[in-house]
This record gives sequence, structure tokens and C-alpha cells, in this order.
Amino acid sequence: MPFSELDTAAVARTLSQIAEQPEDVVDAFFERKEEIELPPEDEGPGLRVWREEGFAIRLVREGKTWLATRDAVESRPFAEALRQVARAMPSATYPEPALHTSPPAPPAAPELLDFPGAVTRAVRNHHVGFPVRLTVRRHRRWIQVVGPRLVPGPESEVFYSVAAEMSWGRYGALFARLDNAAAELTAAAIVALFRARLAAPPPPFQGVAVLGSPAVAVLLHEAVAHALEADVLAQGGNLEAAVGVAMASPSLHVLDDPGAAPEGVRRTTDDEGSPVFRRWLLRGGIVEQPLADALWAHTSPVLVPGAGRRGTRHLPPAPRSSHLELLPGETEDADLLAGDEPGSPALYLPEASRGSLHPLSGEFSLHLPFARRLRNGNLTETVGPCILRGRIADLLTRVVAVGRTSVAAGAGWCAKGGQKVPVWATAPMLRLEGVTVTPDGTPA
Amino acid sequence: MSQLQEVLVSLVRRGWPDAEVLAKRGRSRRLELTAVTETSTFTQEQAWAVRAGHHRGSFFTAGTGEPRPDGPWPEPSGRALRLPQPVPVPVWNEPSDFDAPLIGEREGLKLLEAIGKELASELPKARLLQAALEDGSSEGELANSRGLRAHTRSRIATLYLEAAGPGRPAPTASLYLTAREARKFHPPALARRLADRLAVTAQGGPPQHETGEILLAPAVAARLLCGLLPLLVGPKAATAMGGLRDHRGRIGSPHLTLVDNGRLPGGAFEAGVDGEGMPTREVLLIDQGFFRQPLLTWWQAETVPGVPSGCTRRAGWRDLPAPGPTHLYLKPDPKTSVLALLGAVTQGYYLIDATGGARFDFAESTFALPVCGFAVESGRATAPIAGAWLCGKISTLLQNITGVGRDLAFHALNGMIGSPTLLVTGLEMRRG
Repeated sequence: MPFSELDTAAVARTLSQIAEQPEDVVDAFFERKEEIELPPEDEGPGLRVWREEGFAIRLVREGKTWLATRDAVESRPFAEALRQVARAMPSATYPEPALHTSPPAPPAAPELLDFPGAVTRAVRNHHVGFPVRLTVRRHRRWIQVVGPRLVPGPESEVFYSVAAEMSWGRYGALFARLDNAAAELTAAAIVALFRARLAAPPPPFQGVAVLGSPAVAVLLHEAVAHALEADVLAQGGNLEAAVGVAMASPSLHVLDDPGAAPEGVRRTTDDEGSPVFRRWLLRGGIVEQPLADALWAHTSPVLVPGAGRRGTRHLPPAPRSSHLELLPGETEDADLLAGDEPGSPALYLPEASRGSLHPLSGEFSLHLPFARRLRNGNLTETVGPCILRGRIADLLTRVVAVGRTSVAAGAGWCAKGGQKVPVWATAPMLRLEGVTVTPDGTPA
Repeated sequence: MSQLQEVLVSLVRRGWPDAEVLAKRGRSRRLELTAVTETSTFTQEQAWAVRAGHHRGSFFTAGTGEPRPDGPWPEPSGRALRLPQPVPVPVWNEPSDFDAPLIGEREGLKLLEAIGKELASELPKARLLQAALEDGSSEGELANSRGLRAHTRSRIATLYLEAAGPGRPAPTASLYLTAREARKFHPPALARRLADRLAVTAQGGPPQHETGEILLAPAVAARLLCGLLPLLVGPKAATAMGGLRDHRGRIGSPHLTLVDNGRLPGGAFEAGVDGEGMPTREVLLIDQGFFRQPLLTWWQAETVPGVPSGCTRRAGWRDLPAPGPTHLYLKPDPKTSVLALLGAVTQGYYLIDATGGARFDFAESTFALPVCGFAVESGRATAPIAGAWLCGKISTLLQNITGVGRDLAFHALNGMIGSPTLLVTGLEMRRG
């Protein structure tokens, strides 16, 4: 751990100088990041390595935040940053804390080198072949938060991102491990995109949509997690009023549980050092515990911190989900796909490429790169890009069945507020009825 | 021996004759207001980046702090690296505003509050949801093993505004702007722009006519220019542009003159050299409708005809150098006001903003852009338009520019892309 030699007690004593009022939130956030990328074969230079380390000192008082950040973990920059954040000079000053970190290890990520070949072999196993430009990256991060009174344990994360570029589209995914299963998932996704590349979008319709687990993950992230972030709720007015509102079908139980995330990205504290917990966002479709960080938890007694995340030390934390879980229901997957009435349209939506939520209107859209028509419970022809649309309050009440098989439903990047953080999900399939699907493309 | 020189020597001694070191320092102040929160951030960055390798492979590595001669470095792999030879750099004087101090905390917050107040007076009950102002400066040193040495400085400010209008559900609009210094942002003008967007979004309806004369505000024209970059940048651009030539050899109207200039006075990216230390210059890409050459870096100009320009961008120390526009713009006509262009519209549209990204299909030579604005009859706005798409052939867009205004404005898209107001015929307006 790079911060094992950090004198956290001395840092805490120094921070206590600027916490003048009982309600002040003061902390120091130490961060080391390493990213190693293997670019596509036709792109130079070869291996790419990014390494950075630094800290941020923060003071939050009465809704105002002051943040000072530096790109070095050293005593003098720390003292300078502390002075920039302090609202008044302390009467007696502690000496500058001695800050030492362990040196980085030589850059190496041998597991990246084998992955493109594994994907190529997995694609061939699907009896197709086409050129793919594959970028694979390993992301590692170590953090240490120090407050004037509490010093939580250090945290670390390691995961992988994969981006595939084809002439007909792109695919991106995050994996906790870069193993054969990740290669097969990548191959299956790009083969599905290949097979759907010439499919025409479906005409607009209102009917049944069955969402595969990866599509459910994006739906949950956009329509539940973002909608229940304290800063998003505050845009609409009284954020406390959201608690207790029936927002979705009673069959939906949604949690954010960073402690149950895949190994490698599992957390015990958030990026503010607050303990994480199994946070019930929706219990029986009713809003129970919105996502909050320390700043927002100070504004209302109904909000509990533990969901503060930061993509970089250069920006303050914000409430964000980490690992969403949709609890499984009782319907077999085959039954979710069955039950379409003859003549009425029904689609199976296996994957979503992105989603968006308008925080004020509640307008939601989920972009699907392709879909399959459902007939008599069977998956039939492929249709091209389409969008599942609706207002979230209406859309989530249209869930009529939840699958009983919950799986790691993939993960992706969330870039809200310019802070790119990885988000993970575990979810079963969902069946919605009476929803609107429109073609994704330019107007005819 | 300087730190950069020591690192270079160490890399060359390890058997990597092609080596380049960049060291960069920067400082910035970021101020953000929401309805409930206020945040002030002060950042000091110090970082470096190294590219090195031999004829069998190369690597890129970057990090915070100062570069150390002993690395650690990864092993070269993949493609070999090519670095530029030093060339004479024409004289370029640093603009005086590079030395202006960063905006102060109170001064910046007052600017953001002023935008909020102006917005509420332009459109009662409108409010800012988020306003984020960032003002920064940086300087860098670049050295490569071929003897190139360069010093760079830059100064840039960005402003992001997101506002909600009156009514339920409240319409929203956002702006993202770039200037050399934060003090150049003008609250009343920004508030008017936001208020116009909110009013049009709230009250606008679909277009009634499919065709007509269409006036494109700079924000709309710049988005379209940005979508055309594959036809303008890089060695394949000339071939791609070939299909758009008419029988006279023109690819565009006589009103179409396109320039890229890394030394544009007052430009947000104004600099004497680019991200690889090569001199920047003005390049004429399209001259009164005739395609002259694509935008080329020094290594691209070795493979296709055209003079190279310093157009290798390096947004930050984390970024690999990559070719792209610096300040790419459509030349304005200083004699033509926007009012005169509007007066020339007998029936058509005045499109004030793009509401999403453009879609270009180069195989079909078509484009579509979601837009908002006003229907216009006899030079007067008659009804707000929202949820509409501007569609057409790329050749029509380029060939049918019948008027160009004098109000050149730049937008931070892929580089700084600039355009004045344009009057175009032959395009279509469709319902979204």
C-alpha cells in the first residue's frame, strides 16, 4: 500500500486546526492511480502507462466547499494547500506533517498482452471473423482519507476496461478480472453487434419489452440511482419529499451495496471515508434511502453519508452509486419471454449502449444497439437500434415481472459532472408492459 | 544539465534513440454554484510525459511530479516512434494577457451570480441549475533526442452554464464556453442566450415547412463544421473531399473559405508551437469554394501534397499528441451584418442552437442535426421552433451558402471551431 508509511495522526492533528466549527467537514484525500493500456495493434506507441499521485484538502461549512489540490504528497505543498482552504489562520500551528509514500513498482501488466488473442479466438468460436481494434486497460487506485477525528482504513481498487472498435460500431465494458470469461463476454457482445449491423430499426410501438440483465443494469443506473442522488433530487426542490414516494412497481427492490461489489472493487468506506452499507434505494418500489455524501447528509436528517465518490482528487466528491443490486423475483426467464399476445409487438432488449435522465422532467431514454422480436416466447429476427422512452415514474411502474436468476450484469463508466467513475451491477431480467420503443436514428 | 536533458540522456543510453520528454506545470481556480452549494477549488498540477523507443517498438508513460532519469520505464512494444527534427520557428510574441492573474474567488463567484441575476431579469422565474467557471494557466518544456527544444505557455478559461426556465416540466438549456481569460465572459450576453434557448424550448413547436432559406447562427454552423472534420483533416481528407467537387472543380460556394490558424490572435489555443514543438501557422484549406489542401502534421505531409502546419494537439500531460484543428474557422464577411442576412429571408428559419450532436453519413453524403430556433417570414421571426432536425446533403450544405455574416464566434468542440452566421438554401427541416 503506497500510504502505509503516511503519518495519518500528524495529518489529522494538522487538519484539526482548520475545523473551527462543530459542523465543519474537513478531510484530506490522498490518491495514487495507475493505468496501463495496451492499444490496438496498428497504433503506436506500444504500452502506455499513466501514474499519478497527490492529495486534496477540503473544508465544508454551511453548504460551501473549499478545496485545494496538489500533485505531490509532500509536507510543504500540504501546508500551502491547508492555508488556502483555511478560512482563518489558527492561533497556534502544528508543525507540517512529514508525508512519505512508498515508491511505485516497475510498470508491468502481462495479463493485458494475452487478452486480444483470447478475444480473437472467442470470436472465431462463433464462426465469424472480422477486424476489431481492441484497447485494454488496467486501472488501479489506492486512496487514504484522513479526517481530524477519524482515520478510516486505506482502500484500493483494481479493474479492467475493454473498448472494441469495429467499422459498424463500438463496444465497451468493465471487468473485475481479465479472464477467459471476460474474453468470451466481449466476443459475444461484438459478434451480436456484427450480426445486427444491417438490421433496420423497429417502427415505433407500444407493447412488451423484456430487458436482459445488462440492459437492466443501465436502466437501474439511470432511472433509479441517478434519480435518487441527493444533488439531483435537490434540483427539483425539496429532496426530503422523495422519501416514501412510490416510484416503481412493488416488485422492485433496489439496493446500492459497495461492500458486495466484485472482488477488486469491493469497498468498506466511500471516497470520503464514511462506512458504506446496504442502502435500500427502493423497497417494494418505494423510495427509502437516497444516495448522499457528507455535504448533502448535513442538509437533511433523512440522508445518510456513505455514497460519496470522486473520479479525481481535483474535484469534490458527489453522491453516486457504486454497485447496484436488483433483488431477484420469482419468474423463470422463459416465462418472462412468453405471454405475448398474437399481433401485439414484443421485443427482447439484451444490451443497452447508454441511457439518460432529464432530472427535472423525469424523461428517460435507454438506447439499445439492437433488439430481438419475441413471438410465442421465442426470440426471432433481429431489429436495429432503438430507444426505450418514458417518464421514470411511469416506466418503472410498468415492470410486471422480475426474473429469478440474478447475475453480474456488467458495468460501465458514469461521467456525471465530469467525474468518470466505474459503476457495477447485479440484476435479473425484467419484463415491462405498455412501454414505448422508438427507432434510434435521424427522422425519416 | 537540465532535468529534461538528464532524462533524455538516460533514455538514449538505455538504447532508445527516439525519446521525447515533456514537463508541465499548471494552476487553476474552479468556482461552482448550484441552487444549494458553492464550491471553490484551487489546483496546482505538476506532471511529465515521456515517449521513447527504437525501430522495433515504443512506449508512452506519464506521471505527476518531476520525471526521473531512472524511470521506471516499460519495455518498448508495438509500433516504432517517429519524432520531428527541429525546424526554425517564426517569431511569435506571447500575448500580454497570458500574464493576467487568475480570477479571484470573490470576483469569479460575483460573475456567476451576475449571470443568474441577468437570467432572472431576462426571463422571470428562470434560474441557474449549475454554473461552473474554471480559469487556468500552464507552462511546459519539451525536448526530444533529435535536438528539438520548445517552451509553451497557455491561458484558458471555461464556463459551463445549465439553466431551467419557468413552467412544469421546466425547460432546460446549457452552454459551454471557452475564452482566454475568465474576465472576458459577459453576463448579460450569456443570460440573453440562455433565456432565448429556454423560451424557444418551452414554446417551440415542430417546423411547418420542410424547406426555405435557413439562417444558421454560429453555434449551429460550428457544429456542422465540426462534423465535416473527416473531410478536412489528415491525409485521407483530400480523397474524401474529391467526391464533392462539381463540374467547375468547386466543392463549395464562393462564400466558403476555411482556414486553420494555431496563431490566431486572441484564440483560446494561440501558441507559437504545437504539442510536438513544431511551429504553428495559418493554412488555407478551402479558398472561395476551391479545396486547397487538408490540415496536415509534419509526418502526414510526407505522404500527401500540402504544406504541414503545427496541428498536433496535446490537451494535457495525460494525452498523447494527436492531429486536429487548432482554430479552424469559416472566414466571416466584415461587410455583412446578421440583421442584413435575416432581412434576406422571405420564408424560412433562423436556427439559433443545436440541441444535440450532429450525425454525418459520409457514405451517403448526408447529415442531420437537432436544432431549435424560429420560423421566419419576410425577415421577421414568426414562431419558435423546437424538436426539429436540420437535414440534407453535405454537398448542398457546402455549395448553397449564399451569405456569410461578420459575427465570427468560436466553440470548443474538436479544437476551437468557428463560424459566423450563414445563410443556406436547399436544406430540409424535419420533425424530431
